[in-house]
Amino acid sequence: MAKQTTRFLSKDLAKRYASKAVLYLILILGAVVAILPFYWMVSTSFMTLSETINRKWFPAELQFQNYVDAWNQAKFAKYFLNSVIITFTTVVGVLFTSTLAGYAFARIRFAGRDFLFALMLSTMMIPETITLLPNLLMIRGAIIPLPGGSWVNTLQGLAVPFMANAFSVFLLRQFFAQVPNELWDAARIDGCGHLRFLIQVVLPISKAPMMTVLLFSFTSAWNAFMWPLLVTTRENWRPLMVGLWNFVTEAGPETHLLMAGAVITLIPILIVYFFAQKQFTEGIATTGLKG
Amino acid sequence: MESSTAGKSQSRLPHRSPFINRLYENLTGYLFVFPAMLVIAVFGLFPIGYAVYMSMFNWRVKKGEFVGFTERDQYNQLIGDWGGLAIFLAGIGVLVLAYWMWTKAFRSYRRGELLAKLGAAVLLAVTGVLISTGWGRMMVAGDAKFLSSMIVTLYYAVFTVPIQLGLAMLLAYVLFQNIRGKQLFRMLYFLPYVTPIVSTAVVFRTIFSPRESSLANIFLSWFGIAPQKWLFEPKPVLQLLGLNVEGFWAGPSLALVSIMIFGIWTFVGYNTVIFLAGLGSISKEIYEAAQIDGANAWDLFRSITFPLLSPVTFYLFLVSFIGTFKAFNHIFVMQVPAAQNTVQTATVEIFNIFYKGNNYGYAAAQAVLLFLVILGLTFAQNKLLGDKVFYG
Repeated sequence: MAKQTTRFLSKDLAKRYASKAVLYLILILGAVVAILPFYWMVSTSFMTLSETINRKWFPAELQFQNYVDAWNQAKFAKYFLNSVIITFTTVVGVLFTSTLAGYAFARIRFAGRDFLFALMLSTMMIPETITLLPNLLMIRGAIIPLPGGSWVNTLQGLAVPFMANAFSVFLLRQFFAQVPNELWDAARIDGCGHLRFLIQVVLPISKAPMMTVLLFSFTSAWNAFMWPLLVTTRENWRPLMVGLWNFVTEAGPETHLLMAGAVITLIPILIVYFFAQKQFTEGIATTGLKG
Repeated sequence: MESSTAGKSQSRLPHRSPFINRLYENLTGYLFVFPAMLVIAVFGLFPIGYAVYMSMFNWRVKKGEFVGFTERDQYNQLIGDWGGLAIFLAGIGVLVLAYWMWTKAFRSYRRGELLAKLGAAVLLAVTGVLISTGWGRMMVAGDAKFLSSMIVTLYYAVFTVPIQLGLAMLLAYVLFQNIRGKQLFRMLYFLPYVTPIVSTAVVFRTIFSPRESSLANIFLSWFGIAPQKWLFEPKPVLQLLGLNVEGFWAGPSLALVSIMIFGIWTFVGYNTVIFLAGLGSISKEIYEAAQIDGANAWDLFRSITFPLLSPVTFYLFLVSFIGTFKAFNHIFVMQVPAAQNTVQTATVEIFNIFYKGNNYGYAAAQAVLLFLVILGLTFAQNKLLGDKVFYG
């Protein structure tokens, strides 16, 4: 680079600032695009119907009444509670099954372990479309008899199929395999079995991966849509997402109420995300790379 | 690394024989994996076999007569012309051959490369003829609706994945520089990925509504472009731009493009986060060495970042490509009747066949075919792109 020597320092500095400015411009543009739909959602949710039609960027006056109306019209009180219960049940189930299985795949030697592990991992690439129909028949009790007959419109029908997944087991297995063997030896001498070792030694040092599993099963259970749409033909266990969808197809042009409804469904996710966003992004980064 | 020290500890527990110990260990293992494996086996593995089973019956809500792989079976209805399928697959085979020729053949001869590229070009032309004839025959005799849903799926995959990954790589690369507020940006980019699709779809349906006051149309008006019908527009984008193209090469409809934008918006942040992690694992020393040699920013990106990031790119490409073939929610919540069949991807078509049409056996057959396509694609991508990956 012969030019470098003839260049003035200030010119170089100016160039540096210019390229920095370009970088920030790209980032801010990206952020605006990421955020704009959320802004649109929130601002519309506070508008009057005529403001949504004439398309203002800001509501003249915040219409909090929209939230009350949406909440009542779409029966959100019931659906919200349903979603909370379904999500809680699913998350507890996932944590239970994947902790045990992840531990066994990482630290217990049993015949056929590697085969079972590979078999389990293979389910990660199967499209939901192919499992959907047989699963629906299964839940209806049409393939094998289920306790209590059909599981359509029941909590177990909504939660049980999602109470274990290969991703969570895999993630925890990777972490548990790194627990030093010395710990296990020491515990063994004290007469500790696998279960006690898992609960008293392994779990307390595995808060980060447990948190990742918890967050991902929380979001996927809360956001679940296709399956609940199929198995909730009545309202008794219908979750929020299906409620919102029905509101979309029924409410028609009442955009302001729709947006208020959408904001309501977002709130729990946003709260969890803002408090635990580091676990989210770091969890996805490490597992994404290893997968 | 695992419990290889079990033998050592056994000696300290004299009251149990080694055999009992092994048995005990095995039983504990099975007991621990049982709950997870039960759920995964029943709801993840069993359905595949059962879907194949269902696809062999005339099954409308209740199981009907066995049609198996006979004249009247579902696969016959779907494919229509097996000769057409064979020609189509032969076309794919020739394509692979052309690729091999382009990259590897005749390298030992002088001027061999030119020869190989010419040969590859000829083969490529043959591929085009074979694929279009085979596909044409299937479209005539088979289920045109399902087959065209595969084309819609292909559009969706081919257009979203590269754009999504390109944007994500750009954002990750910029974020990785010495930037203030890195955490904040990362958090904002990731936000669309964690929010429920139904909720964000509500917004995107109004953003891309055909109203003159919709955000997409406001945006167009800044550039003096007339308002468009967006999600309600079944016409291909290229035709709207005034180009006179028909059929496959006309490309996706404006409605599908709107849905693609929604999909890209959702997934860019996820890819950015993974790219960022990949960038973090590239050693700083390589950059420093190259800078001493006088490399500029573009050189650094092209000769260091891009090749060293290729395993991550490859992984994301594979996952996203398969992801678009599996995509359902995005399209389902955004489709409006006015868009007609131009937004029906294979998954949506399958869903409609069994949910609205109640034709379970037929839907199962379609799902099995889609699964085979995904398997084939995974295999092909592993073979073709796997070579290009540079594992530092």
